Amino acid sequence: MALGRSRERWCVLLLGMAFCGGMAGAAEEPVEEATAGLKPRLDWGLEAKASFRHSEDNRFVVPFPFDPIMLPVGQTRGFEQTVNPGSHFELSTVSLFVDAVWGDGLAAHGKIDFIDLYDRNPTSTDKKVDVDEAWIRFGIEPDPAALPARGGVYLKAGKFPKFERQDDRHLESYGLVSTAFNRFEDAGAELGVNLGRHVYLKLSATAGNPVFLRDPNALAGDNGTPAQRQPNPDPELHSGVVILYDAEIEDLDVDGELESGAALGYRFADEEGRNGLDVMAWGYQRKLAETVELEGTFYGGDLDLLNGPVPASAFAVTNDDKKEFGGNVWLYLGGFSFFGQYVDQKLGGLPRTGIEGELAWRFELPLVWAVGDRQLFTYISPAVRYSKLDNKFSNPVTTPSPSFSWDWEKIDAGLRLGLFSGIDLTVEYADNRFILGSGAKRENNELLTTLRWKM
Amino acid sequence: MRILALALALLALPPLHAEELRGRVQLLAKGGKGAARGSDVRQAVVYFEPASPGPLRLPETSFQMVTERKELVPRVLVVPRGSRVRFPNQDPILHNVFSVSAPNQFDLGLYRQGPGKEKRFEESGLVRVYCNVHHNMVAYILVLSTPYSVSPNAAGEFVLTGLPRGPGKLTVWHEQADSWTMTLELPRKGPEPVVAGVEIVRPLIPSHLNKTGQSYFRSQRDRYNN
Repeated sequence: MALGRSRERWCVLLLGMAFCGGMAGAAEEPVEEATAGLKPRLDWGLEAKASFRHSEDNRFVVPFPFDPIMLPVGQTRGFEQTVNPGSHFELSTVSLFVDAVWGDGLAAHGKIDFIDLYDRNPTSTDKKVDVDEAWIRFGIEPDPAALPARGGVYLKAGKFPKFERQDDRHLESYGLVSTAFNRFEDAGAELGVNLGRHVYLKLSATAGNPVFLRDPNALAGDNGTPAQRQPNPDPELHSGVVILYDAEIEDLDVDGELESGAALGYRFADEEGRNGLDVMAWGYQRKLAETVELEGTFYGGDLDLLNGPVPASAFAVTNDDKKEFGGNVWLYLGGFSFFGQYVDQKLGGLPRTGIEGELAWRFELPLVWAVGDRQLFTYISPAVRYSKLDNKFSNPVTTPSPSFSWDWEKIDAGLRLGLFSGIDLTVEYADNRFILGSGAKRENNELLTTLRWKM
Repeated sequence: MRILALALALLALPPLHAEELRGRVQLLAKGGKGAARGSDVRQAVVYFEPASPGPLRLPETSFQMVTERKELVPRVLVVPRGSRVRFPNQDPILHNVFSVSAPNQFDLGLYRQGPGKEKRFEESGLVRVYCNVHHNMVAYILVLSTPYSVSPNAAGEFVLTGLPRGPGKLTVWHEQADSWTMTLELPRKGPEPVVAGVEIVRPLIPSHLNKTGQSYFRSQRDRYNN
């Protein structure tokens, strides 16, 4: 989104900031204990992000015989192409949060995205306001690598993040694995059992995120948007260089065949929460649907996508099973943290694996300047992430998306600086490499700078 | 009647035969093997508690523990039981000094630059002082029922003067160690100084939670970032 087009949203943000200005100092306010009884303790939150993005301009010929009327005037071949190359200022996120807590036993959480440009799912023509999370939980769910006070059980229902997703992120970008497998929330129920303080078990039954395609850089890319149904379409946003990924569910409807998930983990941590280790093995299984209708695209998800627009562009799908197995590691040592994930997936018989690891450090900065009773430049946090996606299947003879089967490698490196209470700046660079079917190595890199304000 | 008044006045005076106690504090590495590195022996407090304690003399003004450049200064403050301590904030940012050390626990709440707030410490004991906003801000208030205390010099040497004759307990306290104690009778026999070997067992920033019993570190995790 260019700056000029987002003026209206800037106004909304500024109004929101003005409205909530009196609460801006609340970030360091002491937390009061949850009140007992029926009246919950309510915590409201708001997060907004403004970004500067510079994306390289790359395109790759696709071996699909597009009818000339499906291509821009004068273009004879189709391309996978950087979504929106060049330099852009964007208002990327405006989200509202609410947490309600009734003592230790009952909690609810809601998150509404009024703008979520980089998680527009799956295209820019998707719905503009999205209920990103909405769940209620009975019992206590410990954070990863944090010891609960005692064993116990929790039950969570609604729309919530998958249990293997990285919950503590240090960069605004995502790795290849976290994009492909568990970036988006799912709807259903999750049961957690803490067998004492260290061993835990999780079981889930959810709708299952539909399989679709997106670019692993900031913008997902426009594929199957209404504009592309026009003769000789030349949309502002391009397809992106895409991978297969688990897209966001469309609604809270969990009719039909559910995805079942399970995890077994072991956690160890000190009582202070400074140091901790958590290892978890997990798996999911569901049946792929013949098609899944997604708002914002006329392409279908799941098998419809893999079967392609014509028989010659169908991937060698052998069944309708979608299975994922993986392992997670969380490690915290004071200001140092590591998150690692391995995934092995069979998508209708198409095998692929992914591995991702992120190292981050957080250094508190000395007090030099202050404004309004709060410190300027509070901390600095460098982070580096490596991710790799190894697609072990071949492309059909003609496919509009040959990048599905390429092998991908991505290194994200960045620095987050705490500017002020609730405001930080993240500068990061994504070195995004892949090996084409011809064996040639190519890149599609991106610089992303994000100013975030949260309260 | 005059004789009775004189007797009472004499009781309130320091003992006629004030004693002196010399010694040395040695900070030892964990396991007691060799000298500890990185720990300051001057932060130790040596105090003598007579078996028959005399009256405490409280200062008219309050003691001070200042928040300065995200530190609590002094890091170790020794006060007589019943003293008042003021916590001025010299930083241009908010602090929230608190302690959960029973029975002297307190919570000053958030306060900005200025004279700060005051707390009276009615019971003797160690008060671990933290800031609810800044994990690394750590200090200690040692509330004593005795006026006889001193901190060693850089070589670890100390001299306690004006001590009353008779039995008592000598204690060496250091923030990174378990307290060292010794019962003794004054005056001591022989000229040898007391040597206290104190083993360093804790880091400079001790493990602690915020005032509501929550982890400082978990709250730093970025839960609204997905």
